[in-house]
Amino acid sequence: MDNEIHQSQKIEIAPTQVGTTAAPTDLPRLRKLGDTMTLHGTHMALALALLIIGLLVAKWIDKGLRKGLKRLMPKASFITALCNAVYIILVAIVVIAAAAEFGAKPINMLRLVTIIALVVIGLIIFFRPFIPSMPFKAGNTVKAGNLLGKVEAITFLNTRMKTFDGKTFFVPNRQILNDIVINYHYTETRRLKIDVGIRYDQDLLKAKRVLEALMTEDPRVKTKPGPMVYVLNLASSSVDLGGRCWVDNKDYWVARCDLLEKTKLRFDSEAIQFAFPQLDLHINDDGARADGSGYPATAGMTGRNPHEAADEENI
Amino acid sequence: MKIADGLKLIENGWIRKPKGFRVRFHRQTDAGVEAGLSPPPEASPLNSDVTAWRYAWKLWQATRPAAETGDPSALYNITVVDDLDHPFRFYGTGEFETYNPKRIDDGGGKATGEENET
Repeated sequence: MDNEIHQSQKIEIAPTQVGTTAAPTDLPRLRKLGDTMTLHGTHMALALALLIIGLLVAKWIDKGLRKGLKRLMPKASFITALCNAVYIILVAIVVIAAAAEFGAKPINMLRLVTIIALVVIGLIIFFRPFIPSMPFKAGNTVKAGNLLGKVEAITFLNTRMKTFDGKTFFVPNRQILNDIVINYHYTETRRLKIDVGIRYDQDLLKAKRVLEALMTEDPRVKTKPGPMVYVLNLASSSVDLGGRCWVDNKDYWVARCDLLEKTKLRFDSEAIQFAFPQLDLHINDDGARADGSGYPATAGMTGRNPHEAADEENI
Repeated sequence: MKIADGLKLIENGWIRKPKGFRVRFHRQTDAGVEAGLSPPPEASPLNSDVTAWRYAWKLWQATRPAAETGDPSALYNITVVDDLDHPFRFYGTGEFETYNPKRIDDGGGKATGEENET
């Protein structure tokens, strides 16, 4: 019985629900949409096709332009900015063309785009002091954290860096902003250090002269400030000399390697000997320590001159 | 004399700083023996004598068999010169060195290739 009642209620309710929700409100809308499609469907489809094809072509031009410019000017740092600007202009042209195809007046679209561009520029200028900016540009050689490499691109989220061993790193900007960054492009020149240690029995003045001459005659070393050689330290096994000179940033690494190589070879040819860690052991002939402790020295235990003992062993 | 004048005097008179280096060599052509430079005079020179000497040594290794057999492709009297075309001492020994030495008469009775030969 209950089942019959439920079935009859369902049968009665179902047609009224359909009649009240779909028919009176949606049908006119659908008819209106149909009419619109009939009247403007061709323009809409054309505008959509123009938009899609235009965006694809813009992307293709952008890729080709980037590749071509990088091949022509591999060291230019403005390529990314230039390509981005060209891409934005192309996209704007495509959007305007698609809107014009749809029926909008091109002059109105141009006005709209101009207004949007001006608003965006205004916002950027106003908020620029509050936006944290990166302390480098694309193309700079920087050291950020443990990474030393060339900045390839900077995006809103991360920075693309290529290290000198060929690896590409995507470093989060947040991490870079919280870290110490060395930008080697802020200054054109860089100081180069040639630290060497010579033995105590070597000619100190000759070593200083040779090292200074070696730096002075190198074409990459700047004359102002000129190269200098200092006695840095009188260490336990060596007299430490410090050569200091200035070179261009781009020449730093090769100049450093060359000067180190030439220092070694020139010191060899000038018979200046480098120091190495050593410890002198002094043994008294009388068999007792020099400090008066009364304990016999190791070699003195035999009661013979250690040199004589060595000679006997050799025989 | 001011310190600046003294420093200028030292800069000009003590050690001459070359502006660059090139590798000089002689080559047998149809017209006779001709001298050549690498990089050529119109190109910028190498800024390191270490690089220039390494380049000269590789040229020597590459043309050594040809020079021994007298092949026309050989390079002779390979050495490093500075921007004034003066021979530059090899940094390893401090001597003037010439690879694939060959006595070449320049027409005026003078001969090249007689430096410290290797």
